[in-house]
Amino acid sequence: MDFGLVYPALVAGRLLLAFAPLPDALKHDHQLSSPLTSYPRLQEGVYLFQHGIDPYSGGLFRHSPLLLSLFSTALPLNKFTSACLWTACDAISAWALVKIWRARQRVSQSSRDSLIAAIYLLNPYLLLPTLALSTSTIENMLFLLSLMFASQGQSSPSLLALALLVQLSLPSAIFIVPMILLLLSDPVSRLASPREFNTYLSSILAKLGLWWYFFTEMFDHFRPFFLMVFSAHLLIYVLPVCLKFQHDILYATYILAGVYATFKPYPTLSDPGLFISLISLFPETYQYLRYPIVTTLLHLHSALLLPLFHHLWLSQGTGNANFFYASTLVFGVSNGAALLDAIWAGLRIAVGNLPEGYELIQK
Amino acid sequence: MKAVLFLFALVCTLWQCVHAQIPSEQEQHVTSFFNSHGGSTSRHTNNWAVLVCSSRYWFNYRHMANALGMYRTVKRLGIPDSNIILMLADDTACNSRNKFPGCVYASAARDLDLYGDNIEVDYRGYEVTVENFIRVLTGRMDPSVPRSKRLLTDDRSNVFVYMTGHGGNEFLKFQDNEEISAFDIADAFEQMWQKKRYNEIFFMIDTCQANTMYSKFYSPNILATGSSELDENSYSHENDRDLGISVIDRFTHHILRFMEGVNKTSQATMQDLFNVYDYEKFMSHAGVRSDLFRRPLDQTYITDFFGGVSQAEVMSPPLSLSPSSNEGSEPENVPESELPVELDQSLDFTSWISSDTNATVRSADEVYGYDGILHELNSRAHAPKQGENMQSVRAWVSTGLLVALVGWVGSNTT
Repeated sequence: MDFGLVYPALVAGRLLLAFAPLPDALKHDHQLSSPLTSYPRLQEGVYLFQHGIDPYSGGLFRHSPLLLSLFSTALPLNKFTSACLWTACDAISAWALVKIWRARQRVSQSSRDSLIAAIYLLNPYLLLPTLALSTSTIENMLFLLSLMFASQGQSSPSLLALALLVQLSLPSAIFIVPMILLLLSDPVSRLASPREFNTYLSSILAKLGLWWYFFTEMFDHFRPFFLMVFSAHLLIYVLPVCLKFQHDILYATYILAGVYATFKPYPTLSDPGLFISLISLFPETYQYLRYPIVTTLLHLHSALLLPLFHHLWLSQGTGNANFFYASTLVFGVSNGAALLDAIWAGLRIAVGNLPEGYELIQK
Repeated sequence: MKAVLFLFALVCTLWQCVHAQIPSEQEQHVTSFFNSHGGSTSRHTNNWAVLVCSSRYWFNYRHMANALGMYRTVKRLGIPDSNIILMLADDTACNSRNKFPGCVYASAARDLDLYGDNIEVDYRGYEVTVENFIRVLTGRMDPSVPRSKRLLTDDRSNVFVYMTGHGGNEFLKFQDNEEISAFDIADAFEQMWQKKRYNEIFFMIDTCQANTMYSKFYSPNILATGSSELDENSYSHENDRDLGISVIDRFTHHILRFMEGVNKTSQATMQDLFNVYDYEKFMSHAGVRSDLFRRPLDQTYITDFFGGVSQAEVMSPPLSLSPSSNEGSEPENVPESELPVELDQSLDFTSWISSDTNATVRSADEVYGYDGILHELNSRAHAPKQGENMQSVRAWVSTGLLVALVGWVGSNTT
């Protein structure tokens, strides 16, 4: 299908959807937006700022000052402009994804372009947060723009976008190292290239407990320690992943996006959404994914359970926090399983097709 | 040198003293608000009630009914459960001898169930002790005691203390194993006064030789009444043939009958209540002690103690930070139409509580779901224009810088 037809059609469809009368509850849903990305809080902060009150003095507004200055001056926030703006962000992100693919394949146009755009624009994990006007859409856009400019070798725009992204959300700092490495290298796929590799694919049994529940159960005495541990946890993945995938930094960035989605302090659905959409850039790994069906089913499972248990706990009152916590654990497991699949596939692909009678073992 | 320092210190202290005597303009305004009717209105802003039934067991049903009748009256007239400390042995309603389980009646006609659904007993059973009672009054409690069991009064609280049970000459029996003396209660009230835990106290007691219990008070602003003199008994009012015991005491029964004619807007005074006292009806000499009470009884409203009614004034917006029209409307007798109803202009406190005055706030596009309080606050507190301008200038400058940065990077790329 022609990219020039599909892409505008999808964007138009998105725009129509954004203008459709949506339930207001979408903006307040906790899976689609976190306190750091919530639209009502953004509005509140802008309002306070415009009336001379420091928006950071209460605990409500946690967005970055960049958004504050932008939305209080140049871009007023109302139903019309926010719908247009968020759709534009998603459109730019999809376009950036397509450009990354083209840079990777070294073509100016390919048949998969429309599929990639569709994967991004129709992904429910990304569609719903955009409809909820979560600012994670803007963060995703900045990430993909940075990645696009890095793939094209343009360092200034890439680093500017990255700087803006880190301003908006601090855990994105894990992308600094891989982005710089990507600028220094070529984004062409070298996953399947023969190279010497050491098979210490040790079991990455990630600690998939989620921050919030863990921290509710913790003694106050240990809070600073565990905050440090959880924050450092994100950082420890950067170097090993970049070292392991130094031949293909784009893949390393993709893995780190998955790590970011699973372990960041205030995750929402848009972070695994980004990770899942990025998988469209690496079709060569599909046949080497270890347990794709399990991962897909886990994701489906958790995607169905999360809103159900949230409703049961908070709206209906017949469940309790443990239901929701269990479903977030399943969600974390599904993210981790996707990460494991991606890492496995990235490494396995180098081995290639095994001749009859041979088996892959770990030493 | 030392002399100079000493003189300086002296002058400073004198200046402080003098300054302290002259009340600030705000203080004067507050005092004049409370004195707006010649000083006879009460200066309280909230009401509390401590209702104690110090007896237990089935045959003391009437004491339970006394306390519950007072509880229902006080609730009806507006004191919320959070401001009522109810201490009952609470063993009558579900007693196995109770022919009407879950119900406590105050009359043989059984027309009104005092126990019912909507009841909150704070101290029940064996928690009703002298120690707990004094701790409630003085506020000296273990930090683990929950809020519902605390008397969280301040210096503008009017407290209604009602006690009933078996008593004697300057003592009251608590649950058959201990007693509280009149001196204890007097000292507890004095502690409350020292700690500024009450504005005025109304102490009512219905026991035998009740008037002796208030004879030892020495703290100011206490009005007390009791059901019988020294060496007199207080009698029960009527028996219930089905239950087999007395259901109410005479003193409390007649007081409750009087209170049935009182509602939140009533202008009935304490003198009207005390005029009900009649030896023929009570078979005992009920007494009143008002020497410690500053206000005249015929200008003290019943609702000052029994109800949760307080003075309110609707003022026009303080745009110039000075009170313009002092429409001191007593909530009791001003009809609805006379109150100014400019909801989006006046700091009308009722509009803060009811949540359906959002309509005045903002356009439908930006409904935050909040009460609009912020909007009203902000439209009042006109921050100096200069500050707001500085803010918007900063915002525009930062946006401009961002755009310039993006443009510079963009132009340098190609």
